[in-house]
Order: sequence, then C-alpha cells, then structure tokens
Amino acid sequence: MPVTKVLTEGIGEVDLRSMLVYRERGGYVQWERAVRELKPSDVLDMAEQSGLRGRGGAGFPTGKKWSFLPASKPLRYLVCNCDEAEPGTFKDHMLLEYAPHLIIEGMLIGAYGIAAHHAFIYIRGEFKRGYEIFCAALEEARNAGYVGNNLFGSGYDLEITVHRGAGAYICGEETGLLNSLEGKRGEPRLKPPFPAIEGLYGMPTVVNNVETLAYLVPILRNGPQWFAAVGTERSKGYKIVSVSGHVQKPGNYEVPLGTTVREIIDLAGGLRPGRTFAAVQPGGGSSACIFEEHLDWPYDYESMAKAGSMLGSGAFVVFDDTTDFVAAAYNLVRFFAHESCGQCTPCREGSSWMERVLERLVERRGIPGDEEMLRRVSSTITGLNLCALGDSIEPFLKSVMTRFPEQFRARIVQEKAVQPA
Amino acid sequence: MTQRQKDFPALLERLMGECVGIIAQYEQRRSALLALMHLFQKHEGYVSREAIDAMAQLLEITPAEVEGTLSFYTLLYQRPVGKYALQVCRGLACSINGAEDIMAYFREKLGVGHLATTPDGLFSYEEVECLAACDRATCMQVNLEFVYDLTPQKIDEILESIRAGSYAVAPMVQTDKPGSTWTVAQDDQISTGTKSPGARDVPRPNNAGGIGDPSGVIMLDRFVNKQVYQFTGTTERAVVDSRAVVDTVDEESAHAGH
Amino acid sequence: MSTPLLAPSSEIVNITIDGVPVSVPKGTLLVEAAKTVDQEIPIYCYHTKLGPAGLCRICLVEIDGMPKLQIACNTAATDGMVVRTSGPKVEAARAMVLELFLVNHPLDCPICDKGGECDLQDYAMAYARGTSDVADPKLSKPKAVDLGPTIVLDEERCIVCQRCVRFDDIIADEQQLVVKDRGSRDIIATATGRPYNHNFTGNVTELCPVGALTSKTYRFRSRPWDLQRTQTSCTQCPVGCQQFVDVRHGNALRTTLVEDDPISDGWLCDRGRYNIGFYQSPDRLKQPLFRKDGRFVQIGWDDAFILWAKAVRDAIDAHGVTSVGAIGGGRLTNEEAYALQHVFRSAGVNNLDWRSGRQRQANPGAQGGTLDALEGAQAVVVIGESPQERAPVLWLRVRKAARKGAKIVTAATPGEARSAVGDAVRVALIWDGVDLALARAYAQVFSGVSELSTYVTGEQSNARGAEAMGMLPGKGPGFATAAQGLDTYAMLDRARRGQMAVLSIFGANPVRNGPDAAAVASALQSVGFLVVSEIFMTETAQRASLVLPAAGAFEKSGTTTNLAGDLLPVNLSLDAPDSARSDLDIVRGLAEQLGVTLPFEEELHGAVVAAVAAACDFTFGDERLEFAREGIAGGAPPNGAARILSGGGTWLHDPWVAGLRS
Repeated sequence: MPVTKVLTEGIGEVDLRSMLVYRERGGYVQWERAVRELKPSDVLDMAEQSGLRGRGGAGFPTGKKWSFLPASKPLRYLVCNCDEAEPGTFKDHMLLEYAPHLIIEGMLIGAYGIAAHHAFIYIRGEFKRGYEIFCAALEEARNAGYVGNNLFGSGYDLEITVHRGAGAYICGEETGLLNSLEGKRGEPRLKPPFPAIEGLYGMPTVVNNVETLAYLVPILRNGPQWFAAVGTERSKGYKIVSVSGHVQKPGNYEVPLGTTVREIIDLAGGLRPGRTFAAVQPGGGSSACIFEEHLDWPYDYESMAKAGSMLGSGAFVVFDDTTDFVAAAYNLVRFFAHESCGQCTPCREGSSWMERVLERLVERRGIPGDEEMLRRVSSTITGLNLCALGDSIEPFLKSVMTRFPEQFRARIVQEKAVQPA
Repeated sequence: MTQRQKDFPALLERLMGECVGIIAQYEQRRSALLALMHLFQKHEGYVSREAIDAMAQLLEITPAEVEGTLSFYTLLYQRPVGKYALQVCRGLACSINGAEDIMAYFREKLGVGHLATTPDGLFSYEEVECLAACDRATCMQVNLEFVYDLTPQKIDEILESIRAGSYAVAPMVQTDKPGSTWTVAQDDQISTGTKSPGARDVPRPNNAGGIGDPSGVIMLDRFVNKQVYQFTGTTERAVVDSRAVVDTVDEESAHAGH
Repeated sequence: MSTPLLAPSSEIVNITIDGVPVSVPKGTLLVEAAKTVDQEIPIYCYHTKLGPAGLCRICLVEIDGMPKLQIACNTAATDGMVVRTSGPKVEAARAMVLELFLVNHPLDCPICDKGGECDLQDYAMAYARGTSDVADPKLSKPKAVDLGPTIVLDEERCIVCQRCVRFDDIIADEQQLVVKDRGSRDIIATATGRPYNHNFTGNVTELCPVGALTSKTYRFRSRPWDLQRTQTSCTQCPVGCQQFVDVRHGNALRTTLVEDDPISDGWLCDRGRYNIGFYQSPDRLKQPLFRKDGRFVQIGWDDAFILWAKAVRDAIDAHGVTSVGAIGGGRLTNEEAYALQHVFRSAGVNNLDWRSGRQRQANPGAQGGTLDALEGAQAVVVIGESPQERAPVLWLRVRKAARKGAKIVTAATPGEARSAVGDAVRVALIWDGVDLALARAYAQVFSGVSELSTYVTGEQSNARGAEAMGMLPGKGPGFATAAQGLDTYAMLDRARRGQMAVLSIFGANPVRNGPDAAAVASALQSVGFLVVSEIFMTETAQRASLVLPAAGAFEKSGTTTNLAGDLLPVNLSLDAPDSARSDLDIVRGLAEQLGVTLPFEEELHGAVVAAVAAACDFTFGDERLEFAREGIAGGAPPNGAARILSGGGTWLHDPWVAGLRS
C-alpha cells in the first residue's frame, strides 16, 4: 500500500522552509481565501464537517472544541501545541523543521476560525533548530503580509508569537502548556474551568496540535467532504504515524485512518529478518500494547479504543520477540515519574514508587508481591489524578504484565533481602 | 566577586533592548520568563542569581517565583555546566535499539555519570527523555543540536573533535566554573536515574529506513534539491545564530546540523 | 492561580450526601456542603479561604451518574446530585492516597511537633489500610531547613499540598514561598539565600496539615495534649484578633489562630503570634519599686498605695487639682481605663489623656467602619503610615478587598487620592491617627462619597476603648461632657515648668513614643511624684518615683475595644509573675486609699458596654483633638516611625523574637 502525502507532500523532495517554494506549491492561497472570502464561522463549519479530530493525543473533534468558546467573550487566543514529547512521537518535529509555513498557515486559518487576533505556538525547548527555522519562516510570512495588521486589506489583525519551552513533557498537556506560556511552572490546571472558558490570561483559549492545525490547509483547499470521505466512520481523514522500534524502516508515514496495523508495519519495512512480532504500542507512551490478534485491525480511534488501547498521538512503537518488557515498562514508568509535575499525590508518589520497584525487577532483585503491588497501585491511581499523566502509567504496564507475565515473574527472587547496601 | 558578576551589569544593559522586545510580545509580562531565561542562559551558560534578580524586577514578580519556574524545566541550568551539554536519549524507542550500550559507552568515555560535568568543565552529561527522533534511534543532542544514529565510533569522533576544538556545534558560553553536578543539591540523593534498561540481544543501531527512502516520509536531512536554504529577513530574535543554521558541510554536521 | 471566591447564588439546590438531604446555594462546593450536615470529607490541600487546588486527591467522592470519582473540593452542587463519601470505591481510593503519602513520609511522629494534631496521622488512622507494601528505601530530602526567622521546614514530612505556597500568594501577597523542582523531588522553598520573612509567616505552620512547617518558638517544646488552651483577644494592635493561648507549666508556649473568628478573618500576624516570650522574661517587674535616695527599693503594695494616695492628696491640697494628672488607657482594658478616669475624676482631677505618643485620635464612631465594610470597599486610601506594620491583619483585609477588585491608593495627596478613587461608592480611609489636619483634608475631599468608612490604626490597641471610657480631657465616659483638663502634652509642658506635682502613667512610654524623647524625659524628670504602672522597666519607668508591676494582657480579664468598635473579651490565660497586679487592681488600691468607691464588676462592665455603645462625639481628624500648641508638643520632630509598640509587649523585650528580626 502506497503512502499518502497530504501534509507530508514535498517533504524530502523540496525545501519547504522557503516561503517561495511553499507558495509555488499553493501555500498561503487558502489563508488569503479565508480572509477575503470566508467568515470565521465558515472556517469553523468546514472544520466541523471534515470530521477532523485532534491529532495530539486526545482525539477530540476540532470543530466541537472551537464551538465551546463563549460568544460573549470576544477576546480569545489560539495556541498551537508543538511541545511534542510523547515517547515515540516525532511527527511535529518533522513538520516544524521541514514545513514551517504549513504550520503557520494552519495556525492562521485556525485562529481566524475562532476569530482570534493573537496566536501562539509553544515549541518544545529541545527543538532549538526547529524554533530557529520556524522563527525565520514566520519572519518571511510577516514580511509578505500574511501575519500582522489589516491582512489583505480586510481590517483583520492577527499576530503570532513564538514561545519556546524549556524541557518538560507535562507542558504538552494543554493547561500545563498555558501555565508555561504564562511564565509559570508547567503544572496542569484544575478543571473546570476549561481553557475554552478560562484559558490563557483567563481568556477563552483553544489549544490545538500542530498536525491538527496543519490539516486545516488541505481541508480548505479540497473541501471538508474530501477529508471526510477518507477514513472510517468516526475517524476521518489522514494521520501521520510515527513508526519506530523494531522495524526495518522507521519513519513518519502518512496514511488514511483505518489502514490496518499490519499495513503500517509493512510500510515501515516490516520486522527485521529472523524476528517475530511481539507487540505494538500504537499511541505513544501512554497507550497499552496491542498484540498479534490486532494486526489486521484498522488503525483508527475507535478500533484502538476497542482493542483496549488508543490511537493517541500516532506514535507507533513496534516490539519484536527480543524485547525485554520489564525493562520497557521500567523505561516508561521512569519517564512518567521523571515528567510528573509533582502536584497531585497519586501521580507524584505512585510513579516514583513504581519506578523504584521496577528498577529492582530490571536488576533481578524483585521480591514476592512486587507484581501484585504494581498491578494494584497502577490500577488504583488511574482515574484519581488531576491530569492525564498519572492515568497514563497503567495501560502499557498492565498490558505487558498480562501478556508476558513470565518476564516479570523471572525477575522475582525468593529471598527477602532486597535493599541495596 | 567573580568576573561574571562584575560583567553582569554591562550584560544586562546590553540585553535590555532584547528583553523589552520579548516582553512586548505578550499581554502579560510574566509570560516572557522562559524566553528571558533562555536568553540569559545563552549569554552566561546558566541562569545566574544576578539574572534571576534582574528578571524578577523586569517582570514584576519575586525572585522566588523565578526560581520556582526555573527549577521546573530541565533545559535551564541553575548552576554552571560544561561547554558541551551531551544529552543522550533514553526514551523507549532508543532504549530498545541499544541506548543502554550507548549510554554505558558515554559514561565510560567521559568518566562521569548522569547529570554530571567532567572535571575539565568541557562536558556535561545527561540521559534525557524521548527526543522525538525515534526513527533515528539512538539519538542525542549536543548543545541542543541533534546527532542521530549513534555508534561508538561516532561518539569517539564527537568527543575527539570537541576536544580538538573542531566540532561543528559551537560551545556554550561558560562564565563560571561548573561544579560536578548541576541540578538541585538533593537530586543525587533522590535520583535513581543512573541506569537505563538494556535491550536484550539487539544488534547495533538500525536506521534502515533512514536514508533516502522514497516511499516513507522520514526525518531526512538531505534535500532533493541541493540548494542550501538562505534565511531572509531574519532578526536577531528570530534566528539565534544563523551561521550555524546554514552550516551543513561535512559529514559530521549532516547529522549534527541541517 | 485563580481567586478562590465563590460566586454567591441565591438559587438553592437539593442534594443528598450519604443519604442525608442537604440544601445549599447552587455552586456550593461539595466539601462545604458536607460540612453543613457534619459529614466528614477528608482534605489536605483544600482550605476554605484558599479555595480548591485539586492536588492531594484525598477528598474523592462518588457521585451518581459519574463514572469516575470526583474531588469534593472542586465539584459544585447541582440539583438532585447524589453523593457518597464512603463505599468500596471511595475507600479504596482514599486508602491508596494515604498509602502513597506514606511511601516517602519519615513516620517520625514520636518526635514530631504535629503529633496529636496532625491530619496525616488522623486520616491514616481513620482511612488507611494499616499495612504497607513499601519495600524500598524512602527518598531522603533536607530536614530542619531554616526557612527564615520564624519557621523551620522538614521537606520529608511535606506532602506538597501547597497550602503554604497558596497562602503566601493569595492571602499574604508575598510570593516568597514556592514549589521548586518537579515530581517526587518537589520541595517548598524560598528564593536562594532569602529568608522567609514577612508579617504573616506563622500562619503557614497552622495551614500545614502535617509537621513540615513548624515555629521556631514552639519546636520540641510540648505535645498538644499537654497544653491548656484559652481563647482571648490579641492586644498588640487595635484589630483585636481572637487567638488561643496555649500554656504549659505556667508558660505561654504558643498562640494559634481562631479559624472562624470574624475579626481576624482567621489569620494572625507574626507580632500577635510570636511576641509572647516577654511574659516569661526575667526582666519583668515583679515588685513595687520606690525611689529612695536615687535608687529603687522594693516595697509592699500597701505601702505603695499609701505613698501614692498621700502624694495625690498632698498635691491637690498644696497646688490644686491642676497639678495632678494621669496618662494612659490605650493599652489597658476598657474596665481599667474606666476605673482610672473614674478614680481621678472622683478626686477632682481632670488632667486625663490616653494619648502618650504621636497618635492623636482613635477611630471615630460616626464613620468608623466594620471590618466587613473594609473588605467590601471599592477603594482603600492609606493616610500616613501603612497599616502593614501598624495593624497587620487589617492589611490582609485590604488585600482581600484588592483581590475583589478594589483600588488601593497609597502615598497620595488628598486630591490625588480623590481622583484615583474616581466614582467608587464604597471608600475606606485608613489612617495612622497622627496628623489630624491631614485626616481632615482627606475627610473633606471624600465627604461626597456615599459609603465612606474610616479606620484608625495608631499605636495603642485599646485607643478607641480608652477614648470611649473618658480618658480624655473634657470628655467623660460615652463622650459625655466633663470638666475641662489638660491634654498629655500640656501636662508635660506644665511638668517642664515644675508645676506638675503628681503624674500617674499607665502602660505608656511617652519617652520612647513621644515626639521628642529628650524633652519628654526632662519634663518627666521635673514631675514631683511620678508613678508608672508597667510590665518592664521602660525609659519612662526609669524616671518614676514609684514603679508598679502590672499584669500583661494574658494575665488579666476584662474587655477591649478594637478599631471597628467591637467589644472583645480579654481572658486570663496565664498567671502574672510574683506580685504583679492587673491595672484594675492597682487602680482599686489607689481608690481605696483615696476613699473613692469604684463600681463592682457587673456594674463596671455595664458602664463599659454603655460607653462603647455611645455615639462618638468626634469626626475624622477632629480639630478639637489637637494638642495644645505650646512647649513640648510644638515643633519637635517625631522620633521616627514607631514600628514597635513599646511600653510592654515589645519585640525588643522578647527573648525569642528579639534578635530574630531587625
């Protein structure tokens, strides 16, 4: 099955970092059309009709998210979430470095769709090069009159501010991101109120992922029906899947939603010679593994949920039979412990406790009761947390403990002495 | 009083225009904090006490609020660090592709562990979470410039060329001598992060899909059209160091830069 | 952080909590609704005055129709809601949260000050599993961190509920305490090298639900169950906050706030909280002292009263009533001030004045505002010295008004203040009570404001009471017209000229607080027979012929009047040292010798109540209260801001607190 190219069109072939190149390929035409010919509500309608869902992880319908903004508050903000840090996800990184103008155009259209006059992009701190590339592209777009005041003589003003993060996964959570954007610790906010009501600076705010906003450009170009015609019943359009792990050709592959898991693995060159398939983590570090029985399932929001996992950000990590799943579980739990903001108890204490237990298991210093503790703690804390991070620990851990119990059991020593000297 | 402290008032004066420009981008002053911290770190190698006080004053918040924010973010240094920050990815995709071996190799070669600086003050070593370049596992950043597809040979080359002063990525400013660790004092008591899970039986790095694959979209750093992109209309704010951006000459920087 | 003020709603909703029907205004948080029916929902991070934070997750409850447990601290009651605070799901969640708190907690309860009044201990006993699966070493964090002059922090005990951080941000508006680092490495800290130091730091020790934040003055000194507790009014400034005094073995070890106190709004300032060490000071006056041949000798109370009364009688006989006077009352109870003026007026003496320092006036009753009115003001104008030092807890009300959107105007001329306030209807004026002309100027420009309220902070806690009790020349109890007499500085001026035969000073130190220390000192030196009732050998007492050891506020009973005119109880919680007596007993001793009959307790109290309730005769900055412009009162520069209330109960006299602050 051939790979689709919508957002990825031209990447790796031409230098889309140049505005001239981007424009030659139809760039900024939709933005100009939106301002000249469409009302913000038209853009919102198109987003809604396209069936576009958030590509950052939660999969919330984009048009619906916009529609929550209270009409009574005209001052609102659009924030583009480019704090890509979900383990295994590297699509926004690519778009940022290779198609910055597409992001800018998507942001402009999105901001227009909610009638905002100030948009922000929050770029992960590690993407220093991407930040520089984006700033340069933004400068070009500003000089060309695509960003700024009285756009295309319409009287519509729209400014974009680039905000660079500084190393914190939790800032990808939309309210953590807003706090970070306000110069604070990137701790998620208590909800309600939700950002659509009280977001940045207490004003209604929409936070959308890079890929989500970028899809607005082809949706405007080809019409919402074009997008809605692709995919499955409730998962419309295309998705960039970041395939990594034990495959021969890891990379970003853009596919129609509903492409099967097996087809995606095949696109990425399949497994390495002599290896057999063990599992796929289909939606980033927060998602449960799916297994052989799911290989022919369509890769879309509903099916992944039905398989007990999620599509998430489209991070697709393939594990073959050589994988040490105890080490993998330790790796992810350590990640969540490291990235827990520390605000709420279950996540802060639970993650670091489980990290310590899993570290012992990796070192073959497990004691009887460790597996039970991991199951009990990871499952009990799920649903108790202030944000989704604490709830993200259980899925992978539970799925691999259930599927590969022997790997965990092998790490349990019978002696009681566990404490290192 | 160190030289850095003596130089600080002049530095502040020099950066004031830039600070004001950054603050002006936001509806609320405090929003500029992260950008200002990046700015001061760029010029001092870390976020100094003097910078903290200056930012507090500029943003009309307390030094405690600046420090609370500062300590949340791992890319911001509260203490002086080495001229080269080596940040090796320990994310899951790298981990199952041999990151454990790569990290062990680094620790052996540098003689220091996670979150530590070499005694000569040249390197600070850190094992970091997923860097979003899983298709090029195992990967790292050298002063935030990506290096992909790590091998022991490549590590040797990097360390050698940095020591020789010929590495393509510029060193960070170092205005104060670094200590052996750079995070909060209790971090080494608390952290368990000196180890990483090893991959079982995995051959050395895979990047089969990496180079020149026409069917997949990859993080490919070579363009079909070989024309080197020139930035136009850039400002000092927009492009921190435009020379480094267009510097894609030798084999090494093809990976380290773009 | 959003402001934790609930929007009041008049719509009543009906919910059930554990089957008990509850009717509350719509929008009431479940945690508050549960309180109305005495259903306990455990909380750590939530606090009524700090609002929801959603951090600790201990308050999870089950709500019909919601798949996940919800936090009671951030869930608003809606009509028909069915809430359960127990059941397997809730109990499992609670037990888990408690188990997680204890993963890294040091469990050093036997040596922890909080033991016995610790929410972690209590909830762990009530709701935890009782066993633990923790098999790994606990994280170690810094212990006994010296946070500042008042507070010590144990990071290992901390459960990161952030109440202290939120108090510092929302209530105190200081932003000195923050969370640093991230995840399980989270710590509470100040900026590097900067102490935690402001007027309200002690409150965090009480907000802290565990033993992480403790007061230096109380650390390792008692277990809570060994303390004897009395509620009284703080008399260190005119706000009159309610506080508990905790005493063990005759020592006041700590004071704590009274959460539902409408006066303090549930907070204490550090002066009120920590400035208690002086009660145990070895420098306290313990025996009456009589100056003989230039040196003080100890005498008995009977001899003291005889000497004093004889001096008064002889002076009146020889030089007339104008040669006798009394100063003080602002630091006494209402009863004492009433008795003081009563005994002297009965003896024909009319030279009476409570004013001993720079303060000219107490808060006048006419516009004297309530504390709630201050909180509800749309604009607050500060005249003279800031209330932050004079009456710290009053400043918290100002902060609260500011959070509700009030404009705070400081360091402005009357004209500037007027235009800054604009068309605000509810305006509060806060004045330090010193410059009457200045106060009149503000009163003038704000005269058109429909809801004007005034607050006078001043130097003495019971200034308003002393004024109402008649400790003023020409004004008897309840502002009744009385025979004219001399004010404080006219008396001192007379003394300077050698025409003051007997002057009795009660709980006042005009040498320190007056406008010109040297002039006041030399005037007092020239008084024929100077009597000073004090708790310490102050600069004024040193010049006395007779020094009478008085009881401090914790050591006596009575009432005090705060700046808002509230009549507040002063309750005996501590024994006075040796033979020190309350000023009421001291005045009674004099009355007996002079043959004056003082009303007994109930009658006295009735007179006090009537006097406090009487309409105040004065206006804001009333010119009749100007001191006579002659002698000492004229021209001399003030001796600096009287940050410290002296004449007993001072920072300087506190063996623990003195030296901690500068």
